[in-house]
Amino acid sequence: MVTTSRRIDGGKEPGVERDAPRKVALVANCLLNQNAKVCEGARYRGLVNPVVEALRSRGYQLQQLPCPELAFAGVRRWWAVYEQYDTPAYRAHCRRLAQAIAPLIEQYLRRGDEVILIGLDGSPSTGVRFTSSKPDWGGRPNRPEDDWEIVPRRGVWIEELEAELARRGLPPLPATGWALDMGRFDEAGSRRDLEQFLDSREIAAGSRGDDSAAP
Amino acid sequence: MNGDARGWRMALVPDTLINPRTLARAALPDVLGVLTACGYGVLQLPPPGEHGLLLAVIADQVAEYAHHGYAVVAIGVRGEPGDGLHWRRLAPLLRHRGVALPPRHLIRPDVDAATEGQRFAAFLSGYDLPVEAQRHWRV
Repeated sequence: MVTTSRRIDGGKEPGVERDAPRKVALVANCLLNQNAKVCEGARYRGLVNPVVEALRSRGYQLQQLPCPELAFAGVRRWWAVYEQYDTPAYRAHCRRLAQAIAPLIEQYLRRGDEVILIGLDGSPSTGVRFTSSKPDWGGRPNRPEDDWEIVPRRGVWIEELEAELARRGLPPLPATGWALDMGRFDEAGSRRDLEQFLDSREIAAGSRGDDSAAP
Repeated sequence: MNGDARGWRMALVPDTLINPRTLARAALPDVLGVLTACGYGVLQLPPPGEHGLLLAVIADQVAEYAHHGYAVVAIGVRGEPGDGLHWRRLAPLLRHRGVALPPRHLIRPDVDAATEGQRFAAFLSGYDLPVEAQRHWRV
């Protein structure tokens, strides 16, 4: 589904820098730094180049989001599912990170930039369309491989980030996820998916331009 | 780490190098391209302005990496305030977390971009933790 992004100032807020509106992509931390992934989760050495290329070739500026799991449970953390991170302490941590990055996002939106969000589908924290779920995970980490499920919902971090933006009166952001944490990773399919999302944004922007030109 | 592709190296990079303004773009090497080719991840620093909470969050992440066998460098831009690195704020935050300040490399926008790109790539390729530290952590 494509959400229409709204410019909350109509691009005309007085006193704001007068540069032309930009296209800004908020990207999950690990899309620019695979060192943030859990052990065995990194598919690239550093940047996820297909994502970076797809965004830059369409004129998007990049804004990296903080990694909530790294700052909470460390770089040597265990794998986890949504239910294990769905705790008051982790949500409070995510809210603190959201409050750290939200002023920048608010600044983009108030100056009329188009802002989109690219998360990480399948992630318990950064999933946009899908997250990983297994309500009975816990205790000694001896689960059989790949016994979690993929369910259609946001990860905990994305839920808290969106809540913080809503608290500031900002509109929902058009969003999708790079399908890195969905079990078996299909780079070509993920790339196709992302490009479709980005191209649909272009089409939507084009038709909005046509509408505004109409009498 | 079986089947894990991480490069164990990353760079603190100013916003201005990740999102160069149109006019500046021709004068700068393709920083993200060079970082990708050298296998580095990115920790993006915010644009100029007051970002105290965000810098503290970034410092937490740098500390976590630095204490667990990852190599971290900082890439600045000559001519930008604080080299684009928010160094006055970031350096004390790192020291407070027991992190040695990362080695810095400055991009010079007034020098030919191709030459700067080569110098930048040589810096990245030549840097890593001592072999003993790599053996200790990277298994």
